[in-house]
Amino acid sequence: MNPLPIDPKNLPLVSGDEFQGNLSQILLLVILLGTAAYLLLQHGLVKSKMMAASGAALFAVAGLMAFTSIPMELESVVRMCFSILAVAGGIAFITAREPVHAALGFATAVLSACGVLFMQSAYFIAAATMIVYAGATIIIFLFVLMFAQKAKLQQYDVQLTSPVIAAAVATSLLFAIAWSVSEPGEILPVKLDLTRPYSLAAPGSAPGEAMPPVPDPAMSTEQLAEFTPGKTSGLGRSMFTDYLLAIELAGTVLLVATIGAIVLAQKPERDPS
Amino acid sequence: MISSLLEYWPVLWPALAAIAVILAVVPFLGLYMTFIERKVAAYVQDRVGPNRVGPFGLFQAVADGIKIFLKEQLIPDHVYTALYFIAPSFSLITAMFALVVMPFGPVATDYQSGFRFMVAPGIDIGILMMLAISSLSAYGIIVGGWASNNKYSIYGAIRSCAQFISYEIPLGMSILGVVAIAGSLNIERIVASQSGSILDWNMFWQPVAMLVFFTSALAETNRLPFDLPECEQELVGGFHTEYSGIKFVLFFLAEYTHIVTVSFLTALLFMGGWHFPGLPGPSGASTTVLLLGLFVLLAKVSLVVMVIILLRWALPRFRFDQLMGLAWKGLIPLALANLVGVAIVLTLGLPKHLLIATAVLPILAAYYSASKFNASLAEGNTLRNGLRTQGAVSYE
Repeated sequence: MNPLPIDPKNLPLVSGDEFQGNLSQILLLVILLGTAAYLLLQHGLVKSKMMAASGAALFAVAGLMAFTSIPMELESVVRMCFSILAVAGGIAFITAREPVHAALGFATAVLSACGVLFMQSAYFIAAATMIVYAGATIIIFLFVLMFAQKAKLQQYDVQLTSPVIAAAVATSLLFAIAWSVSEPGEILPVKLDLTRPYSLAAPGSAPGEAMPPVPDPAMSTEQLAEFTPGKTSGLGRSMFTDYLLAIELAGTVLLVATIGAIVLAQKPERDPS
Repeated sequence: MISSLLEYWPVLWPALAAIAVILAVVPFLGLYMTFIERKVAAYVQDRVGPNRVGPFGLFQAVADGIKIFLKEQLIPDHVYTALYFIAPSFSLITAMFALVVMPFGPVATDYQSGFRFMVAPGIDIGILMMLAISSLSAYGIIVGGWASNNKYSIYGAIRSCAQFISYEIPLGMSILGVVAIAGSLNIERIVASQSGSILDWNMFWQPVAMLVFFTSALAETNRLPFDLPECEQELVGGFHTEYSGIKFVLFFLAEYTHIVTVSFLTALLFMGGWHFPGLPGPSGASTTVLLLGLFVLLAKVSLVVMVIILLRWALPRFRFDQLMGLAWKGLIPLALANLVGVAIVLTLGLPKHLLIATAVLPILAAYYSASKFNASLAEGNTLRNGLRTQGAVSYE
């Protein structure tokens, strides 16, 4: 339970479960998911209950397969439940016929992803995602959808050009991602430079060069908190040192967007006559 | 899995105990807050209020509870059934879930001593987590309004949407100043930073933040004067027009849970939490001191609850454009100005009590607004036109 002492050279690369299956299992899982998504998409077109049921069944089989591949520990099981819910929400998002249902599916996906982030101790990212996406963005979507709601769905609301290609591309993308994640390679998990505060870390610096000094167990809790990666203060420090340029750029983009929105929202001057 | 459950047991049981406390107390509180509210309302309006069931009508709440549970479940023909059922429970779940990171009694920041009056202590982002979860409580209302498949319900839901989005911004901004000075998002640490004399309580040097926070938090509870989503004269019942019996009560239990949350947050963030002059802090304290701290906190919370209940009978309802104008043109600039003040004080290393000068900000804002209004009246505009020049769009 105690995260200390941390050896910065041996930080765990992936803090999740070790995936216990092999590549063919991943392939099977991804293909199952892709087929399920395809069937559910088709269900939107032809409205067949058979198709929807078989799609849901395939998804359930994929979920069960995923369950068998993880260690049966409390943390892993809860995390897997969140993951399956996230994927289900995503599939509901693209296959729902009703726009409001789609938005709720998106909300489910975002919230479940937040659950996964919580399980990984990424509290700040999880809470920020909840506020920004689930709390603000999707609520604005719902706001607009309710204003624009029609009694009957139009043809273009449910028409898909080619669900086969969509499902195939998504499946191959998903497989590529799963493959690359299952072999993490040399990804440096933490890039934190305490020696150069308020400066950009030099681009192209060697891995491990910008590592924090090893924490001393005799430190106070506050000092230790700054060493533990994932804590809010560490995140803030990293954001305003390592990623200062990106943060400033994002801030500028938001400022431009705000000014643009104000300009667009202004009413034209009323004619005095 | 069972073995890992057993392994976690020493960490798990205090959390489960705290959850049990919350689950037991919150519905009870909700029931009795309706009772207190009816009594207060009665005294405000020179009536007696409920006084038939039990001594002083104390069992009225229980009788209401039993009656509502036994009511027939009416499900209108035209609703979207699944979402119609999910909405009230989602409303209550989010309201209760926000209590996870809320200390409801003295919690020492070393998390060693005493009973943990908290489900999840030591979460680094406590207050942010609270905001995140309470931002979800709009879903219950929106989904309920939409699933009712009724024009009035949808209008209530849309109003609630707009209100939530607008008031979330000043809510978050007002907390930032407090967080910046405490140096932590952790609620226990924010309370710990207010230990010492009574002048260390945030309310004395962050009065603007407290005003903005309390106003916007009140708006998020959908209570009068901010109860546009359910205002009876315009929308029948608003988002809950089609709900009856226990489903209706779940919505209202959620509303009262929100009031409890808001009162707790106001007491914890701005009124010193469990600190009181002469009372030692919770770390390494005896049980008596802990209980006294609990009593102090609950007394402060009841004070805020009373203010909220009295406000309902003191203020008239806003018009919708006034509601939006208050958030975007009143509270957000005030919160920003307060934040700038905090940043200046922190950067220059000045004593934080200089911030009490920010108390003139709302007075200046009110003076500015009133003078602008008077100027437009002096130009010969009617009252309605005067409102329009202020940017308040009328009913056209």
